[in-house]
Amino acid sequence: MDCQEAKEKLQESFDGALSLEDRRQLEKHLIACPGCAQFGELLNALDLRLKEAIRAPRLSPGFRAALQTRIDRRPRGLWTHWLPDVAYLVGSGAGILCCVYLLPFSASSVLWIGTLVAAIGYSFQTLLLSSLEEL
Amino acid sequence: MMKDEDVDELLRRRRYERAFGLLLDRYQEKVFRLALSIVKEAGRAEEVTQDIFLKLWQALPFYDGRAALSTWLYTIARNTCYSMFRKESIRTAVTIEGRAEPSRDEILSQHAEIKELLERLPTVQREVITLFYLEDQSIQDVAQMLDLPQGTVKSHLHRARRALADMMRS
Repeated sequence: MDCQEAKEKLQESFDGALSLEDRRQLEKHLIACPGCAQFGELLNALDLRLKEAIRAPRLSPGFRAALQTRIDRRPRGLWTHWLPDVAYLVGSGAGILCCVYLLPFSASSVLWIGTLVAAIGYSFQTLLLSSLEEL
Repeated sequence: MMKDEDVDELLRRRRYERAFGLLLDRYQEKVFRLALSIVKEAGRAEEVTQDIFLKLWQALPFYDGRAALSTWLYTIARNTCYSMFRKESIRTAVTIEGRAEPSRDEILSQHAEIKELLERLPTVQREVITLFYLEDQSIQDVAQMLDLPQGTVKSHLHRARRALADMMRS
């Protein structure tokens, strides 16, 4: 193991666990190389100081209540709840109109069949969703 | 890595209140620590954590499942912190001379010297090394929170340690 590799392994030893073999080789190198040993001591001192210095405080006990108050003051618009339904209906409408123009059948039959298919699809989706909500 | 399949399922069923409650339980402290690593002061970090969860509440119906929920939440968190920083930097540029003493709850208030050294690091290195110690030294967590590959986190961490060691030596 050369000095560059040893310094890299030293850093990795502070990132997490080193393999047993890497650790053995690193220790062997550090005994023979005062420069790397000094670098290791410096990293160790730095690690201890950072551990002492960087400690996370926890959120205050009133955090949730304060957040709830802010949420109550700015309720989400009801329309967002219905957005998927609106998207479904708009999409179905656009699809039916395309079919009216593209299919070689009378416009009124395409309109009727399209509306029927969209309504069945929507009902099926709503039933499925409400049965899932009851679970 | 934390799985949020139950929250995904609740969102699919449009049960936003319950989904939001679960996300709060799981992530409020993590988001707070992420905010703390960026804004550096506990009071402001708590304030910005509220802003982040308020935005999350508003945005939940628009979650499309393309990214993992945690990734999406951390993105909202980082963007909110940086946009607050941008607003505040305009204010501090004007009032920097009259700046008050650091408040009692700054994370590094008892360790002025190491704080000063950290301040001299490039922003990304400072954030990575701060979060690394805030998150019980988990590179995986830091990578997820900053949306960086683990290798990149390691390399920022190594550079930061080397720079700090050089500063301590000189």
